[in-house]
Amino acid sequence: MSTLSVRKARIGAEPGEITKVAKRITSQDLQERGKWWRFVLILIITAIVLVPIIAVVGLSFTPSLGSTVTGNFTLENYGLVFSQTAVAAWLKNSLTATLITVVIATAVAAPAGYVLSRARNKLVSGYSLVLFVVQSLPVVTAVIPLFILFAKFNLVDNLAGVTIIYVGSTMSVAIWMMAAYYDSIPIALEEAAWMDGASLFGSFTRIVLRNALPGILSTAIFSFLLAWNDYLIALVFLRSDPNYTLPVGLETFFQQNATNWGLVMAVAVVMMLPPVILFTFLNKYFSVGGIGGSLAGR
Amino acid sequence: MSASSVAENLRRARRGVGMSGSGSGAPRPTRKSKKFTARTWTLLAFALPSLALLLLLNLYPVIYAGIQSLRSGSLIDSGTFVGLQNYTNILTEPAFWKAAQFTVIFTVVGVFGSWLVGLVFALLLRTRIPAGGVFKVLLLLPWIVPVVVSSTSWNWLVATPQSPFPVIASHLGLGNVLFLADPVLAQVTVCIFKVWISFPFMMMMMASALASVDTNVYEAAKVDGASNWQSFRLITLPLIARTTFVSWILMTIFCVNDFPTIFLLTGGGPVNATQSLVVLAYLTVFQNFQTGPGVAIAFLMTFVLVVISVVLYRQIRKVNVE
Repeated sequence: MSTLSVRKARIGAEPGEITKVAKRITSQDLQERGKWWRFVLILIITAIVLVPIIAVVGLSFTPSLGSTVTGNFTLENYGLVFSQTAVAAWLKNSLTATLITVVIATAVAAPAGYVLSRARNKLVSGYSLVLFVVQSLPVVTAVIPLFILFAKFNLVDNLAGVTIIYVGSTMSVAIWMMAAYYDSIPIALEEAAWMDGASLFGSFTRIVLRNALPGILSTAIFSFLLAWNDYLIALVFLRSDPNYTLPVGLETFFQQNATNWGLVMAVAVVMMLPPVILFTFLNKYFSVGGIGGSLAGR
Repeated sequence: MSASSVAENLRRARRGVGMSGSGSGAPRPTRKSKKFTARTWTLLAFALPSLALLLLLNLYPVIYAGIQSLRSGSLIDSGTFVGLQNYTNILTEPAFWKAAQFTVIFTVVGVFGSWLVGLVFALLLRTRIPAGGVFKVLLLLPWIVPVVVSSTSWNWLVATPQSPFPVIASHLGLGNVLFLADPVLAQVTVCIFKVWISFPFMMMMMASALASVDTNVYEAAKVDGASNWQSFRLITLPLIARTTFVSWILMTIFCVNDFPTIFLLTGGGPVNATQSLVVLAYLTVFQNFQTGPGVAIAFLMTFVLVVISVVLYRQIRKVNVE
C-alpha cells in the first residue's frame, strides 16, 4: 500500500490513470447522495466515542469541591495543581524520559531496520524472528530481573533507569517500522551510488536516510506514544513523588483526591496534551500499516 | 567520485525505476569480494547497537526470569533452588486458572471487538464524507490518549452509584447498575474499555489495507451484478485478509500483555473477577513479594505466547510466499 503509493509518486501518473479517474467520478456521483447521512452518522458515533475525553476536558474547567468560584467555568484547577502538586516536575520527568527514548530508539532502529530490509539471509531472518518474540514478551517478566539488576547500579527510583527500559521496550517495533519504510525505497538509488564508488555507509547516510524521513518521523511518534503512555515500568521503578512521571503522578494524585475531579482532570489534561498536539500536527506521517506490512513481508 | 556524476546516476536510476515499475530496473553492480566484506562489516555495525540492547534489556531478563522461577525467593533474597515446585504449585492454584480464563475472554473480546469496530469505521470513513479527515483524526484519540487518563475518566463515568452512567441507568429503570462492583459486569466493562482503547489501531490497520484495494474491482463487480455485501465478502475481505491476520496476531499480543487497562480500571477486582495473568503475576511479586511464583506465572504465559507467536509468525510467512 504505502510501497505502492510511494512508487507511484516516483513514477508519476501511469498510462491507465486517466481512465481510472474517469471511472472514479461516476462512483463518486453515486456516493454523493448519501454523504450527508453518513456525515450525521459519523458525527453521532464520534461524539459517543469521545464522551470520556470530553468529560476530562470539561471537568478540568469546572470548579472543584470547596471552590469559591461561581459559575461553570474556571481556570482555577490548573493554577491549584501546579502550585499544590509536583505536576511541573512530573511533566519535566515525562518529557525528559520520553524525548531521550525517542532519540535513542530511533537512532538505534534506523541502521538496524536497514539491515532487516536490505540484507536477506538466514541470520537476518533469525534476528527478525527474535525481535518478534521479544515484542510478544510481557513487560512484567522483564521488569522483575531488571529491577534486581538496576538496584545494584542505583538505577531504581531513577529516571535514567526507566529511560533505559523504555528504549529496550520500544526498540523492536521501531526496527520493524524502519525496515518497512526502507522496503518502499527502491534499492536502485543506492546501487547507482555504489557504482559511483560510494560505500554502504555513505549511501545509507546520504541517500537512504534522506529519503526515509517520513519513516523516521513515524517511528519517532510511535516511540513517543509508547514511552509517554507507559504506566507499569514507571510504577515499579519510580518510588518517590518528585521522581514520578505523569502516569504514576496522576494515578497517585487520583487515589488521594478521588472526589476532587476538577483537580484530577486538570492533571489529566496536562498529561494528554503533548501526545494529542504531536499527533494533530504529525498524523499524516504516522502509519501503523507499516508494522503489519513489515511483519508479513519478512 | 564527483557529486555531479552521483546525481546523474541517481537520475538514471530513477528513470530505470519508472520504466520497469519496480526497484530492480537498474543493473546490479558486480561486487568484488573486498567490497563485499566491507559491506558485511558495515551491516554488522548497523545491527550491533540494537543487538547489544536486545541482549541486555530483553534476553537477559528472560533467562534470569527462567532461573528465578525455579527458586524460592523475593526481590531482595534470591532463595533456594526448588525445581519445578513453583510451577506445580501454580498449576494447582484455582486463582491461576481463573486468571487464565479471564485472560482468554479479555483477549478474544479485545481482538475481535476492536477489529469489528475498527473495520466498520474504516469502511465508513473510506466513503466520501464532508470533513472525513477530521473524523479520522478524532477517532484515533482513544488510542492516543494515555491509558491513565482514560481510565481516570472511565472511573468518573461508571465507578460509583453517583457517576453519570449508573445515574442514567437508574433513570432508565434498570435499577442500581454496579459497573465495577458486580463481577460479571466488571468483566464486561473492562472488555468494552479495551475495545474502546484498541479500535483506532485496528481502524488504522484496516484503512491502510483498504487503501491498497483497487476501486476498479468494485466497478467490475457492480457491472456483474454483485450486491454491496457480496462485493465486501468476496472482494474486500479476501484482499484485506493478510493485514487482518497480522492485526489479530499483534492485538492478541497486546491484549495478553495488557496490564494498565485492567489494573487502572479495577485493580483486578471485584473478588479477583478481572484478574488477568499479567495482573496476577504483578500482584504476586509486588504485593505478596513472592518472586518465584510470580515469575513462574509470567514465564508460563510468556512460553505459551512465544509458542503461539512463532507458529503464527511462520503462518504469516507462508501466506506471504503463496
